[in-house]
Amino acid sequence: MPSPNLRTFQNTIDAYKTKLAEQSAQIQDPKALDELRHQFLSRKRGYVTILLEELKTFAPEEKPTAGQLVNALKNEIQERLEALEARLKAPAKPKREIDLTLPGEKRYRGVPHPIRLFQREIEDIFLSMGFSVEDGPEIETDYYNFEALNFPPHHPARDDWDTLYITDKLLLRTHTSPVQIRVMEKQKPPIRIVLPGKVFRRDVPDPTHLPMFFQLEGLVVDEGITFAHLKGTLEFFLKRLFGDKIKIRFRPSFFPFTEPSAEVDIECLACGAKDPECRICGGTGWKEILGSGMVDPQVFKNVNIDPEKYSGWAFGLGIDRTAMFAYGISDMRYFFENDLRFIRQFDLK
Amino acid sequence: MKISLNWLKDYVDIGLPLRELLDRLTMIGLVAEEREERADDVILDVETYANRPDTLGHLGIAREIGAMLRSPLKDQTWPLSDLPVRTSELVDVQILDEDLCPRYCGVVVKGVKTGPSPDWLRTRIEAMGLKPINNIVDVSNYVLFATAQPIHAFDLSRIAGPRVLIRRAKKGETLRTLEGKDVALSPEMLVIADEKKPMAIAGVIGGEDSAVTAETQDVFIESATFDPASVRRTRKELEIQTDAAYRFERGADISFAPHAAIMAASLLTQFGGKVAREPVDVYPRPRKPKEIVLRSRRIAEILGVEVGDAFVERTLEDLGFALKANQQGLWRVQVPFFRVDIEREADLIEEIARFFGYDKIPVVVPPFEILEPVPSDKDRIRKLSQGLFHFGFDEVINQSFADPERESMLRSGKSPVEIRNPISSKASVLRTTLLGGLLENTAWNRNRGQEGVHIFEIGNVYSWNENAAAEEQSLGLSTAGPLGAPHWKGKPAETDFFHLKGALEAALENLRYAPIVFEEAACAFFEEDYSLAVSFKGQAIGRLGQVHGRLLDLYSVKGPVYAAELNLELLFSKQARPFEYVPLPRFPGVVRDLSFLVGRDVPYQGIKLAIDKLGLPHLEDFGVIDHYAGANIPKDKKSLSLRFTFRNPKATLVAEDVDKAEQKIVKSLKSAFKIQLREGGGSS
Ligand SMILES: [Zn+2]
Repeated sequence: MPSPNLRTFQNTIDAYKTKLAEQSAQIQDPKALDELRHQFLSRKRGYVTILLEELKTFAPEEKPTAGQLVNALKNEIQERLEALEARLKAPAKPKREIDLTLPGEKRYRGVPHPIRLFQREIEDIFLSMGFSVEDGPEIETDYYNFEALNFPPHHPARDDWDTLYITDKLLLRTHTSPVQIRVMEKQKPPIRIVLPGKVFRRDVPDPTHLPMFFQLEGLVVDEGITFAHLKGTLEFFLKRLFGDKIKIRFRPSFFPFTEPSAEVDIECLACGAKDPECRICGGTGWKEILGSGMVDPQVFKNVNIDPEKYSGWAFGLGIDRTAMFAYGISDMRYFFENDLRFIRQFDLK
Repeated sequence: MKISLNWLKDYVDIGLPLRELLDRLTMIGLVAEEREERADDVILDVETYANRPDTLGHLGIAREIGAMLRSPLKDQTWPLSDLPVRTSELVDVQILDEDLCPRYCGVVVKGVKTGPSPDWLRTRIEAMGLKPINNIVDVSNYVLFATAQPIHAFDLSRIAGPRVLIRRAKKGETLRTLEGKDVALSPEMLVIADEKKPMAIAGVIGGEDSAVTAETQDVFIESATFDPASVRRTRKELEIQTDAAYRFERGADISFAPHAAIMAASLLTQFGGKVAREPVDVYPRPRKPKEIVLRSRRIAEILGVEVGDAFVERTLEDLGFALKANQQGLWRVQVPFFRVDIEREADLIEEIARFFGYDKIPVVVPPFEILEPVPSDKDRIRKLSQGLFHFGFDEVINQSFADPERESMLRSGKSPVEIRNPISSKASVLRTTLLGGLLENTAWNRNRGQEGVHIFEIGNVYSWNENAAAEEQSLGLSTAGPLGAPHWKGKPAETDFFHLKGALEAALENLRYAPIVFEEAACAFFEEDYSLAVSFKGQAIGRLGQVHGRLLDLYSVKGPVYAAELNLELLFSKQARPFEYVPLPRFPGVVRDLSFLVGRDVPYQGIKLAIDKLGLPHLEDFGVIDHYAGANIPKDKKSLSLRFTFRNPKATLVAEDVDKAEQKIVKSLKSAFKIQLREGGGSS
């Protein structure tokens, strides 16, 4: 531990350095320079001489450290004085040659993929409401992808989720919903999670379909959760994402794992609900943005949660699809071509 | 499902402008759009759900509209003109498998004058997008699209009767379908057979031999209910899709089967047909309607709004449910047979919500209590990405599919997961490495004028691992070409191996995964003598190097390209160093630069580990400040200059202590690697 003495000493030296810098900046002629030299280096009352006097008061073990500090100051003063002398002697500076209006340096910083960017934007809204983020496997079993979600074997509802199979029982998950099951199996309510991830469908690539895309699903399970809460939370989310003024509509739909189920539409941003020929909304003025509903009691039974005690809601949306709508991107395939001219634009987001 | 507005009006009065009708249908869950206008009719396209087969006919849609508008359905009567003969005297229907066929109704109509349909019928058939064929076929289709109950007409004279058997097919039996396709039947399939052979595949398609023709006079009309799963399995197996199968596999209204038969028979009387008495109705185990307990309280608990008991009763009755109130706030609800989707209380609550109006349910932000966040990789992934962005790497995301041929040429050493029903043979396996995608992206961007391509991807790679499909989150990195655009201050540097390595080191250091160990190791992705293996705490986590020429050729990329792949799953399974605040040093440090002559084959990693191993108490940090081989250096040697910073956090270092430490370093390197201090290589 340096003694208080040494610390005061260091502070004094720092103060001298500041003084030296301030005064140097004002030197305009040799006379002022001589005065400055005298002030700092005079044998009799120069600051350095005073410091060397003070050195004697230090204990022997601190003397070398204190001495080094004084030496460093002395060197700095001398360098500074020499530089000032050179400056005063120097002939008038020639006019600068460099054109200061030339462009500055460019430093390139990488950018996140737009899907990731949009995913985080969505995640952050839910994180602010106390949701956690989880994920599960992309290669799933038939049980988690379908059966546990209340799709009986041989039910035509499975046709709506055109599936890529690996074996009879293994498939590429067609939605992020199996993660709901996995989470509810290991975690007791209250549950509040969002589940982003890749999903797969047997869709031939075209501007609005790809065999792999991104979904984000949300799940809330607790006592006393109602459809009114589903509406409240999703409206809050959509207004954060698309702005306070956006019009939102909930309408009945069907998903095997929710009952009642709701499709959520927002007003078409492309035409403002004004163009009967609009390609984005088909002239309806509404754009389907997510599917949702109250968790089906059978799903709760499948994970040993008592549907009489707990209720919950879930929703799912396509991250890439929603980003397409939000930014007016016409072709989903752009996301996976990875053209850097496309990706880098989103740095400005 | 195509719906004709005029046809709907046979069942219900609408009295709404079209636009308003469509909007209101949307709000009860039936999304319809105008498809085409015909003469004085409008054809709608209604989106239907897999669980609502009742909406696959005009009657079902009319029921929904009726409930929505509180407008009762119109009655329809189907008069018959009877023959003296009983149906059972002409056909003897026997169900041999009651599970697959719970009900079979039939009626015989004799003396039909087969011919073109009258205009009213043709119009209806054409509205459904079909070509009218003849009055018998058209009547069958009419009944199907009107009621969603498929019926089938056999030419009575072509049935080797009198027995009509509903039985499983026998091994080896075949059938030529109406479409002229010969199919092989199996005992899993249900057929309608006469004494000799199958005449139709139950619920899927009829056979050519028993079909009605232009000469047909007497028909046997079938209206039955078949097991949905069995119909689905059969039509999938045979790859036949029909309007009938589409409805049966979703579930038919078992109570309606006899009515559909009567309706068809009645229509055929318009063409001279006379109907046999007492239609057949084989229904061995008549079903009781489902009964569900509905609690008023539960409706509010799920919907978050009180809809009122009167509304509940009215809505369900309008929809065809029968209610018995046991006590206040609790009903026993009888489900009509056409609603195969309604099984539980929750299903009834959905019906109430639909007709109450989702828009009238309040919007309530729930009072969320604080929950402990579930730990995830999210934060680590975000930080890792940040580190790579700083090094100028852009993030890419590729499809998880790969071309098996290319995948095998990549030689990742993993066996790929194959997709059984791929979209194309070029995307029939899942990627075993991220490298292929990165090279593809590099080629794509190069072909579009982008010279410097520095990219990374975080995502899963997949493989078969001991009979299980494994997926592992991985990081792939690749760098090629100039690091930046030309600028007047100077040309941008070309990327090299150490740009890649530096980015990796920084990103991992940033996550407090240190020390990361790099060792020379061959890898099929990389040039023979240009690759390193990466490990952390003794766990191999990845590799990096200069991409092999054969892969550059494969992806048509001009080299050099440097790439790395790390298994994040393995990395994240290890504990990172905890974050610790270190106070600023109060005592000055001592810097010593030492230059060594080192054998060319001695890797720096070895020297570094040897110095680390000494555990010198005051050695704060050291690094390479110069590396040189060439003039003035023996051919088998290189010159390596290291800068060491010594510091004692508790006192000013004495020169002798630093000297001692320096000697220790020199001595240990000498004995381990025959390293020599260069002349004048020490400095104090
Ligand atoms: Zn629009």
